[in-house]
Amino acid sequence: MEAAVNNQLVSIEKPEIVAPPDWEPVIIGILCNWCSYAGSDLTGTSRIQYPPNIRIIRVPCSSRVDPWFLIKSLQTTADGVLVSGCHPGDCHYISGNYYARRRFLVTKKLLNFVGFHENRVQFSWVSAAEGPKFAKVVAKVTEDIKKLGPLHLYKKENFEK
Amino acid sequence: MSVELFVTDKAGLTKFYEAIISKNETYAPVEKFGKYDFKRVSSFDACNPDAPIAQTMSAKPLFFPRSAKIMKYTADHSGTTVKETDEDSLAGKRAILGMKHCDARALQVLDKVYNWDYIDTDYQRRRENTVIISARCDKAETHCFCTSLDYDVEHSDAMDVAIVNGTDGKVFIEARTEKGKVFLKEMNIEQRISNNEFQVTDETAPAAVKQQYEAFAASFRLKMDYTEVNARLSKIFDSPEFENVSANCISCNTCAFVCPTCHCFKISDEKVKDTGVRYKSYDSCNNGYFTLMAGGHNPRPVKYRRWRQRALHKFVYYKERFGENLCVGCGKCTNSCPVNISIFEVVKQVSETVSV
Amino acid sequence: MDYTNQIREIASKLFAEGKIDVFVGYRMTGFDENQVPALIRDPNEVSKLVFTDKSVFNLTNYLKQDHTRNKRIGMVVKGCDSRALNLLLTESQVKRENLHIVGIPCKGVVDENGNKMQNCIECIFPNPVVFDEMVDGTPTGSEAPPYQVNTDIQNIAAMDLVERRAYFEEVFESCIRCNACRHSCPMCYCAKCCIDQETSTLYHGANTTSSAFHALMTWSLHLAGRCVDCRNCEKACPSHLPLHLLHKWNEQVIYENFQEHLAGVHEGDRGAFYKYSMKDPDDFIM
Repeated sequence: MEAAVNNQLVSIEKPEIVAPPDWEPVIIGILCNWCSYAGSDLTGTSRIQYPPNIRIIRVPCSSRVDPWFLIKSLQTTADGVLVSGCHPGDCHYISGNYYARRRFLVTKKLLNFVGFHENRVQFSWVSAAEGPKFAKVVAKVTEDIKKLGPLHLYKKENFEK
Repeated sequence: MSVELFVTDKAGLTKFYEAIISKNETYAPVEKFGKYDFKRVSSFDACNPDAPIAQTMSAKPLFFPRSAKIMKYTADHSGTTVKETDEDSLAGKRAILGMKHCDARALQVLDKVYNWDYIDTDYQRRRENTVIISARCDKAETHCFCTSLDYDVEHSDAMDVAIVNGTDGKVFIEARTEKGKVFLKEMNIEQRISNNEFQVTDETAPAAVKQQYEAFAASFRLKMDYTEVNARLSKIFDSPEFENVSANCISCNTCAFVCPTCHCFKISDEKVKDTGVRYKSYDSCNNGYFTLMAGGHNPRPVKYRRWRQRALHKFVYYKERFGENLCVGCGKCTNSCPVNISIFEVVKQVSETVSV
Repeated sequence: MDYTNQIREIASKLFAEGKIDVFVGYRMTGFDENQVPALIRDPNEVSKLVFTDKSVFNLTNYLKQDHTRNKRIGMVVKGCDSRALNLLLTESQVKRENLHIVGIPCKGVVDENGNKMQNCIECIFPNPVVFDEMVDGTPTGSEAPPYQVNTDIQNIAAMDLVERRAYFEEVFESCIRCNACRHSCPMCYCAKCCIDQETSTLYHGANTTSSAFHALMTWSLHLAGRCVDCRNCEKACPSHLPLHLLHKWNEQVIYENFQEHLAGVHEGDRGAFYKYSMKDPDDFIM
């Protein structure tokens, strides 16, 4: 879904805001230490290229991710957020990611309900061996957010663009 | 106080309000979700200057904002620099419609503390640049008790232009201050008189205005002898009655946030990396964490003591220090309280346990 | 619905038998037809207690206060109130042996204008799920009632993205960050509340639209799966914000995806976020 008006990229939630011509999205990536973070490391060591828009934050487990982290990220620099954890069944802490996926769904739906496009927050399961997958995930998320335009909703002081 | 009294009718009043809005930066009660808050308006249809008291927020945020940036700073390894914030958007010349007499009176009360040990220049500027046009209520609402307190509601000069509804659709307009007189001139009072929109009043007018006041004063459910209450309250710091009256309180902050005279604030910093903004925002002495100190000490962890402090600050301490009551009897706290605690009842109940 | 006499009898009996230190119920305001909470410690004041369809406030909120902790409490609960109480028991916030719970088979309560409240019209738990005695001996039902969809959120969900965003922007703009919603909610008992800490940069105490967004969203997500729809928050809000929209939406999402809608019905059941299933929806995750 393109957020374009008169061939100019606009913020999809607020079409009156036009993206600057050289705008690059900022994606905050919250990765679990044991699978996704290691997987992203493998992507790097395999010299697979992926868009540099992502800024990575390491957490011990995807269930560490409080919905508040997503809200805070969206209020500060992020145009989009990616949260990634271990595949169901492979969580280092056995069941963390099972709890996490319930929380993720409710957070995503509530953000959509109050007016964020549903692609602003995205989730993935990336294992420590899935270097190429991580690159594909980041490329997809970056591409999706590029189409949605800059996020201009409820930014904190100092982050208004 | 001026004796220039003019009379018009509802239609003339509406035209007057419309003229004010078109010539001035004007704030008036605007409805949202069933509640009225003071917002900038550019047309008369967008606002309701006669909004009911119980449903209207105080206009205090136009002088003491709910959140104000007080400085910007950078703090990095080379040191800290402080910068001025942006222009104060509330400091321009402006008019306020729809403030009740209690709300306007509250500003006179706040003037004392903002001109005390530290002159708050932001507040001063906003006060100087504002013209208050206030209509006197026709009757009191459930929780009002402004006439029971120690100020003259009838002849108040808290507002610059006072509007009083007479009988048969007459509306009286009076400048109560020099600023009000100047404002009426700016609003072309002479032209309105020559157009017959407004008329100069005759000798029956002051009686009509007084008649409205009498009907208004008789409509109060709540009445107390304030001097008596104040004398007793000064003696009952240790009254166990405070525990009873505050038992229902859930320390939710609402009363202090809607009160037209409360002025407690907290300072918070919003910082990212090296730059930050410092905010001054509303605070409530009823909050369990009020003035919580670094290290964890809480000066008032017990609820009834917080309530005692609130009641005595409003009715005793401020009076002792500044000669004015910190409460104007508007009833907003009681209206907004989730459990309807009435400060009038609290003060009355507690003072009755004291023998003078 | 009038159980005034029964409540007074029960409270008198409990005081006479020395079973409670304080009885939490409702009394008239003294100036109109509405009611406010009454925390009665003196048996002679039992005659102040009333119970009718104007007994609105969820009294379990008082269980979080220091002055009721460790006291023996008699409390009046309606259906939704009892679910909040049950959840507090499940979450170990109050000791069961300290409580004597008087249950009311509720027919719904009204707002100040006398209209039945929306959550009562859509109520599926009128009868208390935990009690020591029911005020008229009514037993509770045993089957789980079917989930009821809230009509307001259907209307909002039908708006397009920009319209919804504009609507909620107005809601967040009108918030004055008084935090009364969180204080009046019985389920919000955190000593260090993440929306009510005043000065830390993390918690965003200033009153801006973005801080209102942070507070209301974080609060409703921390409450998701635990909200009993008592509307204490909405009644407490001085700006009259439609807070139920956020909570009911979360409830609907939780019901549609995890088939949970019985917050606080069964003791020991902590709610949707304390469980998981192998069949939980996964297709939104890459």
